[in-house]
Amino acid sequence: MLGTNLERSPAADLPASDVPELRRYRLRRSEDEITSYVGMIIFLGSWAMMFAALFFAYAVVRLRAPMWPPPDQPALPILIPGLNTVVIAGSSAAVAVAVRAHALGRQPRAAIGLGLGAAFGALFLALQAVVWVGLWRAGLLPTGGPYASVFYALTAFHALHVVVGLVALGALAIRAQPPRGTTRSAVRLWGMFWHFVGVVWVALYVAVYLL
Amino acid sequence: MSTRAQALAEAAQPIHPPPTSFWRQYVFSIDHKVIAKQFLWAGLLFLLLGGTLAMLIRWQWAFPYRPVPVLGQLFLRDNGGVIGPATYQQIFTTHGLIMIFFAVTPVLIGCFGNFLIPLMIGARDMAFPKLNMYSFWTFLLSQLLVLGSFLADLGSAGAGWTTYPPLSTNVGTPGLGQTLVVAAIFVTGVSSTMGAINYVTTVIRMRAPGMGYMRLPLTMWGLWLTAILNALFVPVLGSAALLLLLDRNFGTQFFVAGASAVRGGGDPILFQHLFWIFGHPEVYILILPAWGILGDVIPFFARKPHHWYKGTVWAMVIVTVLSAMVYGHHMFMTGMSPLLGEGFMLFTLLISAPSMLIVLNWVMTLWRASIRFDTPMLFALATVFVFGVGGLTGLFLADISMDLYLHDTMFVVGHFHFTMAAASFIAAMTGVYFWFPKIFGKKLDERLGKAHFWFTFIGITLVFAGQLVAGYAGQQRRLFDPFQYTFIQGLRGLNRWTSFFAFALFAGQFIFVWNFFKTLFGKTVRAGENPWQVTTLEWTATGSPPPFHNFDRIPEVVRGPHEFSNPEVRRLTGRDFAGQSEVLPGSGEPALAAARG
Repeated sequence: MLGTNLERSPAADLPASDVPELRRYRLRRSEDEITSYVGMIIFLGSWAMMFAALFFAYAVVRLRAPMWPPPDQPALPILIPGLNTVVIAGSSAAVAVAVRAHALGRQPRAAIGLGLGAAFGALFLALQAVVWVGLWRAGLLPTGGPYASVFYALTAFHALHVVVGLVALGALAIRAQPPRGTTRSAVRLWGMFWHFVGVVWVALYVAVYLL
Repeated sequence: MSTRAQALAEAAQPIHPPPTSFWRQYVFSIDHKVIAKQFLWAGLLFLLLGGTLAMLIRWQWAFPYRPVPVLGQLFLRDNGGVIGPATYQQIFTTHGLIMIFFAVTPVLIGCFGNFLIPLMIGARDMAFPKLNMYSFWTFLLSQLLVLGSFLADLGSAGAGWTTYPPLSTNVGTPGLGQTLVVAAIFVTGVSSTMGAINYVTTVIRMRAPGMGYMRLPLTMWGLWLTAILNALFVPVLGSAALLLLLDRNFGTQFFVAGASAVRGGGDPILFQHLFWIFGHPEVYILILPAWGILGDVIPFFARKPHHWYKGTVWAMVIVTVLSAMVYGHHMFMTGMSPLLGEGFMLFTLLISAPSMLIVLNWVMTLWRASIRFDTPMLFALATVFVFGVGGLTGLFLADISMDLYLHDTMFVVGHFHFTMAAASFIAAMTGVYFWFPKIFGKKLDERLGKAHFWFTFIGITLVFAGQLVAGYAGQQRRLFDPFQYTFIQGLRGLNRWTSFFAFALFAGQFIFVWNFFKTLFGKTVRAGENPWQVTTLEWTATGSPPPFHNFDRIPEVVRGPHEFSNPEVRRLTGRDFAGQSEVLPGSGEPALAAARG
């Protein structure tokens, strides 16, 4: 959305070489790209406030509760979400590799990285679905009081962001393949969004599942 | 002659050909000037709607249980034209919500922010023009949700503009109307966030060469700080709305407590925290652009540089920071720890110091000035007065012991109407009269403008002063029929007179409507590039209205925004002002070099 009107960097078309100056020259950002990064950072800062407010709500509700979790409700699993933390970290790493490869003009490699990131994202959602189904079967429904409210609202809202990022990464992976190509900004900005979603997950894992 | 900095700016922002199709030109436009006009129309229409709702409230307090003339026959026929209690709830709820989110915000921030930011900083458009378009269409969707809520089975939202639970939960206000309005708040929040990201980035990245932060017109400072507050705190409101929607539709229990909740339930006070963490900055979100507009219009018509420009800038920055730390003063009565309350009281009282510095700087700007009393200036001076009253009455409410008595009385209503309604609204009118020639190329009629001014200024002062007095005498806010209480019965005359003034105020607004359409569609001479003889880039570096690409050549700024009555400028040009990018004759290159340092 932010990056669609940006030109592809001309430096990316230069022949491949491992000369450090050339590499630095290729990674240099244009004025337009810097503007879009500034915008993205402001957006992520803004959106972080939304998650901060949700965590604040969680803290208030939990501090008021006499017992957490309530004795008749199932405790949250730690193992599968922990595995999910590793999955989303791997996904972020793949996207980071893709962003750098794309910036250096290595389109096929970037496409693989983006595709891998999206695949890890899908795996994350699948594992999250396993957690949801397990807890639902164990009797934890969204209507089951503040404990269930916090769990379902926070994880679902985060999963919604994963879905958005997943779709975008998948589309970019297809578009980044050589004949078509995509802008450096588009890849980089969606990469930033994806890292943001990952960081929020880590905070969510620690605050909701572990604590 | 083009400097190197200008050439770089030109290369970064090339001129694109204007769109030719009707849809791209007027509807799905990415031109910030067209989007500004769209926001202006949407905002003014909802201003009329919100004003009409206010008249219904005033009718109820003047003549409870009596049929409303005209409007009653149109909209309340089921009830014989009489406002019933449930309808009354919806009227004051939607009045507040519409005025704040769907009328003042689009005019002050949507219209002026969009129109002025690129023009005043010397850019060809916003940093993200498409995002700008999405921002408007998202906003329009939220307005449609509000309108749609009136058609819902049990009517529109009725839990007050603050939508406090438990009243705003399914238990207190069932029905689709409340849900639609909460969704509208979320959607308009998304729109505000998109706009804010755009505004903040544009000011950081797109300023013309030479336009340092300390050369920005104060309007830019006001809008930029507002955008920062919007970006930080509107998402908090978004999360509150989101959780409330989950509570209403999916049975979660964030805000539901008591008998209707299982396992202890959530906490209704939590909503108040989330709401006011956003809600107090929102007050400054609406007043900072107003301060900014005054900071430019007052020196423009006083023909003097703004007194202590940097002081005003830093005061606005301090207010922005402090505004995030005072929200607790809305919650003194929620059983808050007295120590915490004292902290919030301290910060609240502190915030009045920079605010008063800003007001003093306006007064000092007026001191010994050769003032031109054009319509925009009259509105600006009125804003200074009503904001002064609003600010001073705020001190009473900031004080915990006073607030125990005044909380939830009409005094609060009078106070926040003097600041948010009167000051923001009159400042918005200042802006409309002042920038109308730039937006539409023609000047609004001065005589009608002055008539509108006197109706507005006197009307607003009397209406909200009446509310202050009623509140001080103990009248609670939001009562359907206040006179059921014996101790309020003595205030019947006061309420009735306040209503008469409100009706006059409302009637006076039609002078503006008439003026607006007469100027827009009638035979009026073009206003010319710079009808007010002022200094900022939108007036001195481009035409009225500006072309699609704003500036034929991106200007290089050589001086601050308020270069008035400088004897040297008068000697060289024969005028008492110099544009921000104007190279003075006879001094050309040396002056440019000196200004660059």
